[in-house]
Amino acid sequence: MRRGKVNYDYTLLVALGLLIVMGLVILGSTGAYNGEIKFHDSLYYLKKQIFATALGVAGMFIVAGMDYHLWRHVALLGYVMAIILSLAVMFVGEEYNGSKRWLSLGPLSFQPSEFAKVAVILFLAAIITKNVKDIGKMRTLIKIMVSILPIVALVGASNLSTAIIILGIGVVLVFIASPKYGQFVVMGVMGIGFMTIFLALESYRLERLEIWRNPENFEKGYQTLQGLYAIGSGGLFGRGLGESVQKLGFVPEAQNDMIFSIVCEELGLFGAGFLLLLFLILIWRFFVIATHARDLFGALIASGAMAHMMLQVILNIAVVTNTIPNTGITLPFVSYGGTSVMFLLIEMGLVLSVSKVI
Amino acid sequence: MVKNKTYNKKKVLVVFICAIGIILGLVGRLVYLMIFDAEYYQKKAEDLHEREREIKAARGEIVDANGTVLATNKTVCTISVIHSQITDPEHVIKALAEELEMEEETVRKKVEKVSSMERIKTNVEKETGDKIRNLEMDGVKVDEDFKRYYPYNELASKVLGFTGGDNQGIIGLEVKYEEYLKGVNGTILTTTDARGVELDAVAEDRVEPVAGNTLQISLDYNIQMYAQQMAEKVMEEKQADKVAILLMNPQNGEILAMVNVPEFNLNEPFELNTGIDADALSDEEKQEALNQMWRNGCINDTYEPGSTFKAITASACLEEDVVALDDHFSCPGYRTVEDRRIRCHKVGGHGAETFVQGIQNSCNPVFIEIGLRLGVERFCDYFRQFGLLGATGVDLPGEATTIMHKEENIGQVELATISFGQSFQVTPIQMAATFSSLVNGGIRVTPHFGVRVLDGEGKEVKEFSYGTGERIVSKETSETMQMLLESVVAEGSGKNAYVEGYHIGGKTATSQTLPRSANKYISSFIGFAPADDPQILGMCVIYNPQGIYYGGTIAAPVIGNIFDNIFPYLGIEKD
Repeated sequence: MRRGKVNYDYTLLVALGLLIVMGLVILGSTGAYNGEIKFHDSLYYLKKQIFATALGVAGMFIVAGMDYHLWRHVALLGYVMAIILSLAVMFVGEEYNGSKRWLSLGPLSFQPSEFAKVAVILFLAAIITKNVKDIGKMRTLIKIMVSILPIVALVGASNLSTAIIILGIGVVLVFIASPKYGQFVVMGVMGIGFMTIFLALESYRLERLEIWRNPENFEKGYQTLQGLYAIGSGGLFGRGLGESVQKLGFVPEAQNDMIFSIVCEELGLFGAGFLLLLFLILIWRFFVIATHARDLFGALIASGAMAHMMLQVILNIAVVTNTIPNTGITLPFVSYGGTSVMFLLIEMGLVLSVSKVI
Repeated sequence: MVKNKTYNKKKVLVVFICAIGIILGLVGRLVYLMIFDAEYYQKKAEDLHEREREIKAARGEIVDANGTVLATNKTVCTISVIHSQITDPEHVIKALAEELEMEEETVRKKVEKVSSMERIKTNVEKETGDKIRNLEMDGVKVDEDFKRYYPYNELASKVLGFTGGDNQGIIGLEVKYEEYLKGVNGTILTTTDARGVELDAVAEDRVEPVAGNTLQISLDYNIQMYAQQMAEKVMEEKQADKVAILLMNPQNGEILAMVNVPEFNLNEPFELNTGIDADALSDEEKQEALNQMWRNGCINDTYEPGSTFKAITASACLEEDVVALDDHFSCPGYRTVEDRRIRCHKVGGHGAETFVQGIQNSCNPVFIEIGLRLGVERFCDYFRQFGLLGATGVDLPGEATTIMHKEENIGQVELATISFGQSFQVTPIQMAATFSSLVNGGIRVTPHFGVRVLDGEGKEVKEFSYGTGERIVSKETSETMQMLLESVVAEGSGKNAYVEGYHIGGKTATSQTLPRSANKYISSFIGFAPADDPQILGMCVIYNPQGIYYGGTIAAPVIGNIFDNIFPYLGIEKD
C-alpha cells in the first residue's frame, strides 16, 4: 500500500517507460530498411509510432487521473461503438497486405479491432459485476460469453488472431469471476473439440500445421524460417543494434509481427530476455493490482489488461519461435502499429487508475 | 460496490502462474534456438546472405624468343544498371547512349526493365568506362575485367590462337598451354540484402586471384613478320589460294616462324577475313567459314609432298647402300613399271646421268629405279624409322597424321610413285621435321614452340624438354645428303634459292593436287643453311599458284630472299 497525494504504481510506470523506449529504439532500427525502400524515409515508421505513442501517453495520464468507476456507465456504449466500427471497416475499410483492417480519417488510419479489445475488457468487467450473484451458474457464464460473440465474429472476419485474443480475455475474466473450476475444465474440453473441427473444416488451416512442423519444405514457411534464421543468428549478445541482416528484406515486413526475431538477432539472448523481463514485470504488477483492487470491477479491469498482455506476448513469441503455427499477432509496444500502442497505453491508464486507489 | 473476494484473488493467481509458466517455457525455447540451434541457423542465414563472386585471374602473356609480347591482357569495362538504385533514369539513358555510342531506344529498354541488374554493354574501353564512372550516376555500375589482347593483330594468328568468353583458349597455343596461362580465379564473398544489393558495411571475404604464368615461345617476332610479308607478296603475285612458310632450327626443332596467309585478326576472331559479311550466312555456314579461317595449314592439312620427298627416298637408299653417288642412270623421259609408263617431268628425258645429277635434275626415273631397288618392305621400314607415319608431336592442337598406303597394298607401281613423293599425303610440318632430321646429322627432332614458363617477375618456373630424338640415319648419310642437297641449289633445280656467299641446301617440288584434271598445283621448296652445319631450315608451300607453278621458280626464291635477310640477324656468317 502506498501513501501520498498520487498513488500510481511506480514500478509499473518505470517498467512501462523502459518498455516504450526500448520498443521505439527497436522499431527505429528494424523499420529503417523497409521505410527507406517503400517511402524513401528510413524514419517513416518511427515517426508515426512516436506520434501515436505521444497521443497514447497523454491519453494514459488523462485516464489514470479519472475515477475508473465512471467507465461502468459507458461500457455498454463503448461496446456498441466497437461493433459499429468493426462493421464499418467491413464496408469502407482500407486494405493493406490483403487484409481489410483499417479505417481512414484523412492522414490518420485507425484499426477498430485494437479499440475493441479495450472496449471488451470494460464491457465484460461491467456485466460480470452486474451478474456477480449468479456467476457460479453455467447459464450465466454462457450468457456472458455469448454477449461478446458478435464482436469476436466481426473482428474474426478479417483478423482471426485478434478475435482469439478477445475470446481469450473473455474466458480469463469469467474464470476469475467464477468461484468454480469444474465448469472451465468442461469449457476447455469443448474449446479443444471446437478447434479440431474448425481446423479440419478448412484444409488451408491443416496446411498451416504442416508448415509449422516442417517450415523448410514449404514456400509459405518462408517467413517462419527467416524468423528462425534471425533468432539463431543472434547468439548470446547479438550482432549489435542496427546490425541485423535479416531485416533487410529477408524477414518480410520485419517491423510488424516478426519484430521479436530481429530483437534476438540484434540484441541476442540477453536483449530478448531483458525485453521479456519487462513484460513479466508488467504482468506481475497487473497481478498485484488485480489482487489488491478495492472492488471486483477494478480487479477485473486489471485482470483484463493482464490477460490481454500475456496472451499477446505469449502468442507472438510462440509464433516467432515456431512453437505454434503461424498467426499474425503483434508484440505490444514493440511491433509497428499506432492504434495498437495508443489503446494499449489507454488500457495502462485504466490499470493505473485502479492502482491509485488501492 | 461488489467486493473483490478471496476466490477472485486466488484465480488471478492461477492465471498469473500460468502466464509465468508459459513465458518461462518460451524463454527455454528461445535459449534452445539461440544457443543449441544457433550454429545451424547461422550457417543457413550466412548461405542466404552471402553471394560469391568470381574475380577473374589475369591470363598469362605469350612472349617471343626475345621477350616481345605477342598476347597480353587489356582492361575492359562492363557497364550495367541496377534498376532499383536509379534515381534519374532519363539522365542515365542519355548519358549512357552518348558515351557508349548506342541507340537511345536500346539503352532505354534495358534501363527501364525491372530486374535486379541489367548489362548494358561489355568490352567497353577502359577510358570510356572511367568517363562513365566519373559521371557518378546512381544505379550505374562499371566493372573492370580483363580481355585478351594481341598487339600485332594478324601476326601468327593460327599459331597463337585466341580465347573465348571465359578467358579459355579456343585454338592454337592458347589451348595447348591453357594450364600454364589461365591462372586461378579468386572469389569475393559479399553480403547482400534480400534484393541482392551488396552491403558496404559488412566486411568482404576475399580470395585473391592468381595470375597465369607467361609462356615464352621460340617464335621470333621479326622473322615471323618478315616471313609473313614475303608470303603475302608471293600470294598476291601468284594469285595463290594460300601460302605457308615455316622456319625452324633443324638442330633442336624450335620453330622461329610459322606463317599461314591469309591470317586473321586475333582481336576479332569471329569476323571473317574474306570480306564476306558473316551476317548473310547461316549459323552453320558461318561456323564452317570460321573453322576454315582458323585452320593452320602447316599442321592441320596434308598434301602430296612431291619432289621434296626425293631427299627422303635418297637418304633411305644411301643408308641401305642400294645406290652410290656415281651410279649411272639413263632417263628416256619415262620409266615403265609393270604395265604402266610413268613419265618424267622433262618430256625428252634427261639422258645419261649420275645419281648426283639425277637428284639435281629431280629426275623421276632415277628415283623410281632406286625405290624399286630398295623394295617395298625396306622402303616401309625406313618410312617408319624416319618418323613419317605418326605425328611430329608439335605443341599445337589438331595435328593431322600421314595418309599412307597399307604395306600389303603397295605394289611396284605404288612403290614407284611413293619414291618421288606421290600417292600419299603428309603435313608440311612433318616434311620440315623429317627434312631437318635427315640433314642435322641424322637425329629426329620434335618441332615445337614452347620453350619455358615464366612467373610474373620473369623468373623461370618450368623449362620444356623435348628429349633427345632417335637417330634415324647415320651421320655419314646425313653428311652425304647435306652435300647432295647443296648441289641442288648450287647447280640444279633449286638455284633460285641461292644466296651469294652462303652454302645452302634444298629441294624443290611441284605436285599436282587431286583430282589431276583440275590442273591445280602445289609448289614448294625446303632449304637449309649452312649446308654443312644447318642452323636454319625454311619451307615455303604455295597452294594453287596461277601462271608459272614450278617450285624451283616461285617457291625457292621466297626462301632465298628470307635467308638473305635473316642470316645477318641470326648471326650466320658468310664463308
